[in-house]
Amino acid sequence: MSPGRALAVTRRLLAQFKRDRRTLAILFAVPLIVLGLLDLLIRGGGEAPHVGLVVLDRGALAQQVANALRTSPLVRVKTESADAARQDLDSGSVVGYVVLPENFTAEALTRRQVAPEVHLEGSQPSESTATLAAVQRAIGQVAATFAPRYTPAVTYLHGGPNLDTLDYFGAGYIGLAVFFLVFVVTAVSFLRERTQGTLERLMATPLRRAEIAVGYMLAFMVLATAQSIEILLYSLYVLHVHSAGNAGLVFLFEVLMALAAVNLGIFLSMFARTEFQAVQFIPLVVVPQLLLSGILVPVSGEPGWMQYLSNVLPLTYGVDGVRDVMVKGAGLESGKVVLDLTVVVAFCVLMILAAALTLRRRID
Amino acid sequence: MNGANAVEVEEVRKRFGTINALDGITLAIPAGEVYGLLGPNGAGKTTLIRSLIGLVRPDSGTVRVLGHEMPDVAVLNRIGYMTQSAAVYPELSVEENVLFFARVNGDVGGVEKTLRTLQLWDRRKDVVATLSGGTRGRVSLACALVHSPALLLLDEPTVGIDPQLRVQFWEHFHKLADEGAAVIVTSHVMDEAERCDRLGLVARGRLLAEGTAAQLTKRARARNLEAAFLRLAAAESPE
Repeated sequence: MSPGRALAVTRRLLAQFKRDRRTLAILFAVPLIVLGLLDLLIRGGGEAPHVGLVVLDRGALAQQVANALRTSPLVRVKTESADAARQDLDSGSVVGYVVLPENFTAEALTRRQVAPEVHLEGSQPSESTATLAAVQRAIGQVAATFAPRYTPAVTYLHGGPNLDTLDYFGAGYIGLAVFFLVFVVTAVSFLRERTQGTLERLMATPLRRAEIAVGYMLAFMVLATAQSIEILLYSLYVLHVHSAGNAGLVFLFEVLMALAAVNLGIFLSMFARTEFQAVQFIPLVVVPQLLLSGILVPVSGEPGWMQYLSNVLPLTYGVDGVRDVMVKGAGLESGKVVLDLTVVVAFCVLMILAAALTLRRRID
Repeated sequence: MNGANAVEVEEVRKRFGTINALDGITLAIPAGEVYGLLGPNGAGKTTLIRSLIGLVRPDSGTVRVLGHEMPDVAVLNRIGYMTQSAAVYPELSVEENVLFFARVNGDVGGVEKTLRTLQLWDRRKDVVATLSGGTRGRVSLACALVHSPALLLLDEPTVGIDPQLRVQFWEHFHKLADEGAAVIVTSHVMDEAERCDRLGLVARGRLLAEGTAAQLTKRARARNLEAAFLRLAAAESPE
């Protein structure tokens, strides 16, 4: 072992990195971006979920609990009638509503028991948890002196306590897995066509650029479709991830996201000269989408400006669509699912155009 | 155009930034000729070849190939192009590579004949990644030949190929020319130049001189082609 020779290797590598600005940028900028995003997502600045409040009791305790809820940092409360609250829950403008029934104060005083009704939308566990915590805390503040039994009646519109974390997140990950893997495989193999010189050669044949793009697309769609079927069957029948909706629709979302990923891969491979550089697109393209597409933290819970960012990321719509279908059992009758599908299709078209146009630019 | 000329290049200029890659090149190459484009690295040989395929659009001047003004996709299935490196698919077998280029050019009839001519028939099932550099070069040539092109463009085809195989390659190029194809070979190796029917000496994007190796040597009053090239290049240079 010669320290001199080992050091020569070290110095050479450091000199190489000094010239490789892109790698340095990724090495030093991406962790800050990713951790910063996580900080904003988890520690907040985020918006508390909207919750409806129905107060049917004029008693003092009910009024105090209602006031405590209105000032709770965990939720943003909108006082309304029972019918309006029900409608808001169905339309998705609140994540749940709390009913303080007529006998709320009386029950507390006579039987030392408080029983608010909590109706939850249920498809986002973090929002359900925040709502339940806000109610419990409000009652704790007001009724601490006489320590009543707390027996809330909780109902769920979708999902509920019998769904576990994988049931909620599985839906999002199905979309992500297809998108991510197909993107990486396409980008690297298209780049290889360029680096091994065969693309130059293909350009000297009657093969049109659009034909190359379509050929790639079809080949990767064969793989991606098989992969989508595999992921779906494995999730539904081996892992028993809960799905209330039409598996065919989930499959349609998967295939569309794969199609978008193929073309994104072709498009971005134009901006990389080596396979190493293509792999560097992963933290740039995939990680922000992983954090911001609503897989980990619901988009509605992000700080306002970040929601704008989430709303332009295509994966947000793919994930939202898959989750609506699987967790809520929504179908094509749902305007939101149709919107999600439309955005994903539009993104596919955009990526196909981008891929075809960048291919054409290669004539000097 | 003159019906016998496979390639006609007239006053073609092409700049990349501050570099004159092609600086007013004019040349004509008839069918049935093996034409050598000679010149140092960076002389403009590859740019010229790429303009013949339509991958480079000249700033001015015209390029006609097999009667078509380039760029024109319609003529590409009559051109065979072998790039500098052996650009073939390493994961595919020899036959799969050749068949792919045959399909892309819309002519799959010549696969077996091409593989047999280049002595690749027995190795047709071998995966290219497992082959030696020389054999890979033959596969690359087979991919350029399989659709019997009327114009064959070979960009430094003999780089990294052993002398024995080099002889076979040149025999093959002449055979194709005898069958009526125009063959353009670029090289910076002067001793290969003698094997061409006619030579064009290229430097700094200009055609310095044209003729057989003997004519060029005589014209420059040099002992050999290498010396002739240096002398002609010096005479042309502005300094």
